[in-house]
Amino acid sequence: MPTRSIITMQSLSKLYEMGDQVVKALDSINLDFRLNDYAAIMGPSGSGKSTLMNIIGCLDTPTSGNYELNGQQVAKMDDDELARIRNREIGFVFQTFNLLPRLNCLRNVELPLIYAGVAPEEREERAKEALIRVGLGDRITHKPAELSGGQIQRVAIARALINKPSIILADEPTGNLDTATSHEIMKIFGELSEAGNTIILITHEEDIARFTSRIIRLRDGKIESDTRQ
Amino acid sequence: MNLNYRQFRYETGESMKMALFQIRANKTRSFLTALGVIIGIVAITMMGTAINGIDLGFEKSLAMIGYDVIYVQKSSWSTMGQWWKYRNRPDIRTDYAVQINRTIADTPRSELVVAVPQMSTFQASARYRDRLLQQVFSLGTNQDYPLTASGDLSEGRFFTPQESAAGDMVCVIGDDIATGLFPHEPSIGKAIRLKNSNIRVIGVFRKQGKFLGLFSFDNQLVMPLGAFEKIYGKSPFVSIRIKIRDQKRSSQANEEITGLMRRIRRLSPSQENDFAVNEQMAFKSQLDPIKNGIAVAGIFITGMSLFVGAIGIMNITFVSVKERTREIGLRKALGARRRTILLQFLIESVMICMIGGLIGLVTSVSITFAIRFIMPDFPVRFSPMLVLASLAVSVITGVVSGLAPAVTASKLDPATSLRYE
Repeated sequence: MPTRSIITMQSLSKLYEMGDQVVKALDSINLDFRLNDYAAIMGPSGSGKSTLMNIIGCLDTPTSGNYELNGQQVAKMDDDELARIRNREIGFVFQTFNLLPRLNCLRNVELPLIYAGVAPEEREERAKEALIRVGLGDRITHKPAELSGGQIQRVAIARALINKPSIILADEPTGNLDTATSHEIMKIFGELSEAGNTIILITHEEDIARFTSRIIRLRDGKIESDTRQ
Repeated sequence: MNLNYRQFRYETGESMKMALFQIRANKTRSFLTALGVIIGIVAITMMGTAINGIDLGFEKSLAMIGYDVIYVQKSSWSTMGQWWKYRNRPDIRTDYAVQINRTIADTPRSELVVAVPQMSTFQASARYRDRLLQQVFSLGTNQDYPLTASGDLSEGRFFTPQESAAGDMVCVIGDDIATGLFPHEPSIGKAIRLKNSNIRVIGVFRKQGKFLGLFSFDNQLVMPLGAFEKIYGKSPFVSIRIKIRDQKRSSQANEEITGLMRRIRRLSPSQENDFAVNEQMAFKSQLDPIKNGIAVAGIFITGMSLFVGAIGIMNITFVSVKERTREIGLRKALGARRRTILLQFLIESVMICMIGGLIGLVTSVSITFAIRFIMPDFPVRFSPMLVLASLAVSVITGVVSGLAPAVTASKLDPATSLRYE
């Protein structure tokens, strides 16, 4: 059964000027992600995977080429439109977690909803649900400093889920975690995938990539291989 | 539109909470930042209080000489100190009052009501048994004096036309003399010794305070002219006090009395006045430049301290933006727009300034009360306008000093900010 594409990239390039040198971080990439894809983007450092992630996550725009996210042309959007897309369509999970240390779990998780203009009662309701979903229903009022690394990353996943995004974009989500905790986090991603979410991981660890159903390897700004398992 | 409004409301609420978090988390830093504004606001409000106070003190003092009294004297108040101009003028004589009153009675629509002569000592002393008061101000006048002076009596009575005409040895004394000579006993009926004569106290003036902080009306000793001349002989310090009908038409009154005096002095049209007509406006015109000077100096000092304060806040906000680059990146990644970030940092600097402004206000109100408590005579007045003005100034300072860092923050690139270490 062919599923609909959620991301379409056509001859997408990103150039950086380093002094008088022009570096091609991404070189005419064509890439599709379908609804409910569970993919890992891999590659050595300098392969362009961070650049690709920034563009997928609408944190950056391509120098040339097309990028369509959930039916919207993103490549030419301005800052505030991109902010809206990030808010609605993308749930970020970072290697360094990036929770605000002064806010408790609930307040951290509901942050995207504030920018979406959701009323306080509904925010709290949904944030609680999301925390329960990642198994932290009993840690709602804890601050990040009172949690373990695995728990912090689960709060971050709850925050990524809160606004029902089209894709969950995780940048080295297990990079700062030990093996056992990493596997715990990957189990959550597995469950989210089974529940119908589209998930894109950036990683350089083979055993993490093995949890996913599709592995895209980058080298020198080009796609080296794209395999489904 | 509706969604935009909701977003704005929730984001602003969030920003305010974050600003409070931030201020509470960095108490020392926030306080030092706010210090510039605190000093600025204290400077503004104290300056305003001082200027208000000058006005207040001035009003009080003017009420003492009376708004509706003009004085015919040898020298003018507005060019005091130029004694050489007045030295050769003939002295004012007490019987001018009689002539003036006669003319007033003959003029149907006169602006003048009554003229009262006044002869005074430069300095005198008064004695009662073993108590001696220096710096008493003796004044000889007639029964109409109360019409031209603001002092009510707290005890006793003023002297009658008969006593005045006869030059009876009776007097009405100021509050300071009463408490100085008769601290534990009633003063009415007692005999005070002035030079070599005794004079009986028949009344006491209510306490009035000092005129422009210089000259006290409470050490006056008022007696009939005849009595004054018996004690001190003729004194050259003579004024004619003239009550006018309407203080709004004091210039017409001034013209009228000037014409009258010229006739009394028999001056030809080509001759200059050889007397002066003084009214309280003369003081006002002397005081205004002083007040303006204080205001200009005050605005300058205040402006400097606020400027320094604003630079401090700008600096700290820049540091804060730098420190929280990752947070800004994260917020942007989660959907914060430029204006959200801009507003967050603006709210933070405005809040620091507002808190600084409030602390400044509380400080200067306390200082005002302390001054009032320690020196009750010192004129200070705090006005609600000052409160509004200083809060407005705090907010403006906050916006001005927070704008540049806030714009910088709003323009940060989310991808690079997220990786900022």
